[in-house]
Amino acid sequence: MNALSDTRRAALNAIGDVLIPAALGMPRFTDAGDVDAMVDHVLALRPELTGSLNQALDRVGAGEAAAAAAERLNREDPDGLATIGLVASSAYYMMPEVRQIMGYRGQEQRPATVDEEHDYMRDNLLQPVIDRGPIYRDPDSG
Amino acid sequence: MGEIAEVLIIGAGASGAVAAKHLAEAGVGVVCLEQGREVSSDEFYGDKPEWELMSQRLWHPNPNVRGLATDYPIDTSESDVNPLMFAGVGGSTLIYAAHWQRFMPSDFRVRSLDGVADDWPFTYQDLEPFYDHMDVEMGVSGLAGDPAYPPMTPPPLPPLPIGRIGRLAAKGMNELGWHWWPAPQAIPSRAYRGRSQCARRGTCMQGCPEQAKASTDLTHWPDAIAHGAQLITGARVREITVNAQGLASGAIWIDRDGVEHHQRAEKVIVCANGVGTPRLLLLSGGDRFAGGLANSSGLVGRNLMMHPYAATVGYFDEPLDSWLGPAGQAIHSMQFYETDKSRGFVRGAKWNAMPTGGPLGMRSAYGGAPLEEAWGENLHRATQKRFGHSFEWGIIAEDLPDPENRVVLDDSLTDTDGIPSPKIIYRNSDNTEKLIAFHLDRQREAMEAAGAKSISTTTLMRDCGWHLMGTCRMGNDPETSVLDQWGTSHDVPNLHVLDGSTFVTSSGFNPTATICAIALRSVMHMIETRADQRVAS
Ligand SMILES: Cc1cc2nc3c(=O)[nH]c(=O)nc-3n(C[C@H](O)[C@H](O)[C@H](O)COP(=O)(O)OP(=O)(O)OC[C@H]3O[C@@H](n4cnc5c(N)ncnc54)[C@H](O)[C@@H]3O)c2cc1C
Ligand code: SF4
Repeated sequence: MNALSDTRRAALNAIGDVLIPAALGMPRFTDAGDVDAMVDHVLALRPELTGSLNQALDRVGAGEAAAAAAERLNREDPDGLATIGLVASSAYYMMPEVRQIMGYRGQEQRPATVDEEHDYMRDNLLQPVIDRGPIYRDPDSG
Repeated sequence: MGEIAEVLIIGAGASGAVAAKHLAEAGVGVVCLEQGREVSSDEFYGDKPEWELMSQRLWHPNPNVRGLATDYPIDTSESDVNPLMFAGVGGSTLIYAAHWQRFMPSDFRVRSLDGVADDWPFTYQDLEPFYDHMDVEMGVSGLAGDPAYPPMTPPPLPPLPIGRIGRLAAKGMNELGWHWWPAPQAIPSRAYRGRSQCARRGTCMQGCPEQAKASTDLTHWPDAIAHGAQLITGARVREITVNAQGLASGAIWIDRDGVEHHQRAEKVIVCANGVGTPRLLLLSGGDRFAGGLANSSGLVGRNLMMHPYAATVGYFDEPLDSWLGPAGQAIHSMQFYETDKSRGFVRGAKWNAMPTGGPLGMRSAYGGAPLEEAWGENLHRATQKRFGHSFEWGIIAEDLPDPENRVVLDDSLTDTDGIPSPKIIYRNSDNTEKLIAFHLDRQREAMEAAGAKSISTTTLMRDCGWHLMGTCRMGNDPETSVLDQWGTSHDVPNLHVLDGSTFVTSSGFNPTATICAIALRSVMHMIETRADQRVAS
């Protein structure tokens, strides 16, 4: 599937790299793996974003530098820029490469073990609360 | 024309499911009409990489954002808070966080104790056996002995672990000498009655993909149906009908092909939630009940309470795995729950310590701010600061009943069947604003004591109307209340309301344990007094 024309995709990727640059140990947007396929996947799941994304990307002038285009869009069409940012960051944070760097395996299954229960009893973390006794107000005594 | 149901229930959410199960088990013939559909657990995205993406739209709690045909849109242009809900078998429990909180004894005596609002027509002790019963039906996990409550029957399951975030929050509270306790949740810490043990995916508010969380499609509907209750989905009720004697005689509903039906009934129970129920009563009654059915008091739709929500997020250096579930609450605190008039306001709030979710967060909300604030290197900085390294102290702020805060029918907006939508008129009171400001200050202290490296606060979240209460209040006086203490209309003796609309005050607690306990108490009374009741023939 190809959800975006080549021109729009080029604009998205260029602005995507401005919004999500390589820094602090994280890759830039287009270096995060097959982001084109992931963007298509995002748009397939959220088709209502396509219209406003296309509109925003069409405002980018041919040959306009991506950083300048992003600044201008943010001033003139903040909702459009937000849509570009949402599509790019949604795709980015779903990339397996990115998740691996972040140590995030998604909302994984991690059922609790019995050892994890009641740890606050074993190390007395809860004891001061118990020792202070009841704090509720009895309506019959005011 | 079809058969006459002994009891017609409108709405298959929390209260409707409790009513259907217990009536059906007592041999009462039940028909339930639900505008939504059955949702299967494999439709939820919690076990898929797209979870956060879909939580912003298809599984968003605000029906105006979801825009599904099964929802009705709501006019919120005159409200500080958006009401949140879900339409389907299980209703809003499909996406609730399952904090399972009882009210305190003082909550039922607000007028006597604090001179505001009204006392309830029953006490905590009256409701206690029904709270106990619901704990077992839902499979509540929790730790007995919370000193914020009178002694109570222990819940059926041991508490879920409080995790790293709970322990950190608790350390801060201990530092200050403040109350906290492992939070009670309608989420099983062990496999329970056909439901799985919670896998801690943390996606409870977008539906539980594990069939663990106690949503009433799992906890109540199978039993109700096994005992003969008839559940009709895709059935949108547009009016409750009334016979020549002024009794409720059934409801007109529209199926998904647009065909209208009249379901006749001897008795009608409305369980369409704190917004849907007043909407339906205001749509009903015709000339005989001008101003809406059951509305001689003029209070149908009034006194809407939604628990304005504020929160404090603390950011920590150490890894907290703060995307781990349950999404609802690890520990709670009632340190500042009861009234202390020296603070300049009455009533209080429960606090809940919660995880902060996945990496995406709310990126779409950043449009318009200077580019470098939200994007570029700062995007990575902000994500690294929050993701896996933060937790939230939330405030369930008690809002007092105010007749000006209300649900009315909208002049122009309709659902997909052309039925007028509700409009919400709701403003935060001065008391609420002072209450929130005080609690946020204390939460900052709690976060500092927990060792937070930095702290941010949200003074009022607009998408926070999870709890819909008060719009058909109970009471002993028909002039100042819509329903009696059993949820029966003062005006129409075979019309009942059992959802959050019945609440006299909102308390500072998540309401569903109380909604279900009240529904159960009322239904048990209905069963016991079956022989004496007036019904439509
Ligand atoms: C995101 C979220 C998180 C929450 N977290 C918590 C929590 O942690 N703890 C807690 O205690 N509570 C929580 N709640 C609140 C909880 O879900 C509600 O209190 C509870 O579900 C209300 O039960 P109810 O029976 O009043 O209504 P609902 O469960 O809302 O059910 C009402 C049903 O009526 C149907 N209906 C309405 N109008 C019509 C009509 N005209 N025709 C046919 N059917 C109709 C609806 O489709 C719906 O299915 C949360 C809610 C949300 C949205
Ligand atoms: S945390 Fe538990 S209850 Fe919540 S979605 Fe995951 S498995 Fe279900």
